[in-house]
Amino acid sequence: MGIFSGLINGFSIALTPVNLLFAFIGALLGTAVGVLPGLGPAATIALLLPATYAISSPVTAIILMAGIFYGSMYGGSTTSILLNLPGEAASVVTCIDGYKMAQKGRAGAALGIAAIGSFVAGTAGVLGLTLFAPKIAGFALSFGPPEMFSLALVGLLMAVTLSGASVIKGLIMLAMGLLLASVGLDPISGKTRFSFGVIELQSGFDFVTLAMGVFGLGEIFTGLESVMKTEIVTTKVGQVWPTVKDWVDSRMAILRGTLIGFFVGIIPGGGAVISSLVSYALEKKVSKHPEEFGQGAIEGVAGPESANNAASSSSFIPLLTLGIPGNASIAMIFAALLIKGVTPGPFLIQEHPEVFWGVIASMYIGNVMLLVLNLPMVGIWAQLLRVPFGILAPVIILFTAIGSYSIQGQAFDIYSLVGFGLFGYLLRKLKFEPGPLVLAFVLGPMIEGSMRRSLLMSGGSFLIFVTHPISMALIGLFAFLVLGQALVMFRKKPAVQT
Amino acid sequence: MKKTVAVLVAMLLASAMFPVASMAGDAYPSKPITGVVPFGPGGSTDLLARTVEKFWTKYSKEPLVIVNKPGGGGVVGTEGVVRSKPDGYTLYFGYGSGHDVVMPSLQKMPYDPLKDLVPVARLSIHSVVIVTGANSQFHSIKDMVAWAKKEGKPITTAVSVKAGAVDLALTAFGKAAGIKIVTVPFSGGAEATTALAGGHLMIGGGHPCEIMTHIKAGRFRPLAVALPQRDPSLPDVPTLRELGFDVATWGSIKGVAAPVGTPKEVVAYLGGTLKKITEDPGFRKAMADMNMPVMYEGSADFGKFLKQATADYLALIRKLNITIN
Repeated sequence: MGIFSGLINGFSIALTPVNLLFAFIGALLGTAVGVLPGLGPAATIALLLPATYAISSPVTAIILMAGIFYGSMYGGSTTSILLNLPGEAASVVTCIDGYKMAQKGRAGAALGIAAIGSFVAGTAGVLGLTLFAPKIAGFALSFGPPEMFSLALVGLLMAVTLSGASVIKGLIMLAMGLLLASVGLDPISGKTRFSFGVIELQSGFDFVTLAMGVFGLGEIFTGLESVMKTEIVTTKVGQVWPTVKDWVDSRMAILRGTLIGFFVGIIPGGGAVISSLVSYALEKKVSKHPEEFGQGAIEGVAGPESANNAASSSSFIPLLTLGIPGNASIAMIFAALLIKGVTPGPFLIQEHPEVFWGVIASMYIGNVMLLVLNLPMVGIWAQLLRVPFGILAPVIILFTAIGSYSIQGQAFDIYSLVGFGLFGYLLRKLKFEPGPLVLAFVLGPMIEGSMRRSLLMSGGSFLIFVTHPISMALIGLFAFLVLGQALVMFRKKPAVQT
Repeated sequence: MKKTVAVLVAMLLASAMFPVASMAGDAYPSKPITGVVPFGPGGSTDLLARTVEKFWTKYSKEPLVIVNKPGGGGVVGTEGVVRSKPDGYTLYFGYGSGHDVVMPSLQKMPYDPLKDLVPVARLSIHSVVIVTGANSQFHSIKDMVAWAKKEGKPITTAVSVKAGAVDLALTAFGKAAGIKIVTVPFSGGAEATTALAGGHLMIGGGHPCEIMTHIKAGRFRPLAVALPQRDPSLPDVPTLRELGFDVATWGSIKGVAAPVGTPKEVVAYLGGTLKKITEDPGFRKAMADMNMPVMYEGSADFGKFLKQATADYLALIRKLNITIN
């Protein structure tokens, strides 16, 4: 079956009333869990897994789950921008400039550009999925432990660039993030580290809990100091529709974010979180006015929000073509397919064309639904800013507590949430940017695990990182970036002295 | 008047607090049963439990509700079941996994997996299959052993986790064959399989339910099974014993358990229900689709089997001198 006839067939399945309804429910639910901090798509899909038994057709079940997954990428930006509280892990970097924009009274423009970027990237991602799925899947497999290590190393370097002005403070945050990530099971030997006999610490700290704590609760605790001011940010929401200047500033960022997201999403273990980070760092690098980043640059919202949507579409490629789930949400969809008697893999397109093309067609439709859902809602969400802080703060704390409890169903995560919140408050007082900490926390296990695996494979020789071509190219990029940065700092110094 | 109200309130409270007592006369089960899977959703234990959940209501008047309580390699969720009321309304799905039969030989446990749990029934065994990538130069175990001996080089091997069933089986095989097997642990079966599919390691091991799609797609070649007998889901693949290596493990056992102290008739009811489910053609087909062999055993037999498996794993760990601390 050709791509075109396949897609026609897919649309004929996706446009049936039942499938349209479930695509809509998925998109709506996804937006909701994206907006609610802590409650992520993986947890929601897991909760809905038993419900898929009741849905007789596998296509319908997967359309629903896929809708939740990519829908959450739309919703995730909302609370990041309005409350500095990442609604979803992939929207962590959106906090940095999105929240600043909101503080400057440009919440509407930030939300608008996030929704539009999401739509463009999401649709482009599905288009890429349609056209290149089988061809690209093979490339993703060429990322083994040495390649993953080098990729993560570049990611870590980019994390430092998120630190704002001070590189030293960025490095300190990076080190703390790596330290926190080392709590729990040693990824190679299985030995328990730094758990101090606490059984809940055996599986380490939870990422979403950490991010909600240092970003969201930290912000709220800081806000409590100025309790006389009744609002968390200015009430002025600003224009929802982005201005001409916003368009010009962000269109390339959306394009770059889409490309980055698409390729990073294909790599197993890559996915939306890393793609948004890479996109942010790139935007800052190529920008003509990098000093505006961290102060409310619209590119810092447009790029990452596009990237995470493109990544969510393209992460279906390894699932549908190789049977390899690249992240937790996709793993849940993988399980649902198995339960339905459909084995994802290279034979899926031939054995179950209705599933393959039906789901892809529904993703086109779902993205349009999400745009229609989200753009008019922007104004409504932005009203959140008018809610007095005295009401908003406890509500947010309640939601984050529910969110962090829902991940593993243990009260311990609520305590660690509060702990991280106090820690985040401290960081704000000391003028540390928590971005690098949170991202180092994600990359830490990846770097450690893939490095030790590579060394096991090479019998202890570090040459493995340069004898593998992809890894060598990434290491080269790393060296280039470090040298470039050093040169910039070296040049700047005398200028400061004179 | 006030007194009457107080008494009424007290009675209401009492009945709310002791619903079980008031229902003592009712036949078990009188309310939904919770099945705890101590791993994340989407894994092989979860898939198995949810398939049972699907067929449960066909044979029992009260539903079975599966919940995931992951963490600590399975210990957190299992400990929750151990500490719950032994009334038959909280069950543990996955009894016989690595943290039940392997981990106690390696580290201190917060409970005794053999003494603090009552076996209800065994449902399946996930065997350990040794595979290579389709482009590998190794077409049989013999090829591989010959190559390793001739070149004197280690065989890099993808395994899901350190000291898990797959890691132990392959390490034991290396020792028996007299070659150096370097096991590279990943974080879970899916990741290990992906790395092997990408050709980053020479061989790998995994459970059929994790790797069968790759075998069917021609991306992996199965070389041997590390069970005492052949795996029903891979009838054409020889065991290591057949190939002349005295290595056999019990793979990863998947059964159901209840907290110790659960009444005998409740255990019998649960075991009987599970037996009927494992005989259901629909269930057997669903299991076959997931490449999980149905290997039912009742409470008493399963208990003996687990004791044997734990003792065998302990002997193997001593022999291979494996420690994690």
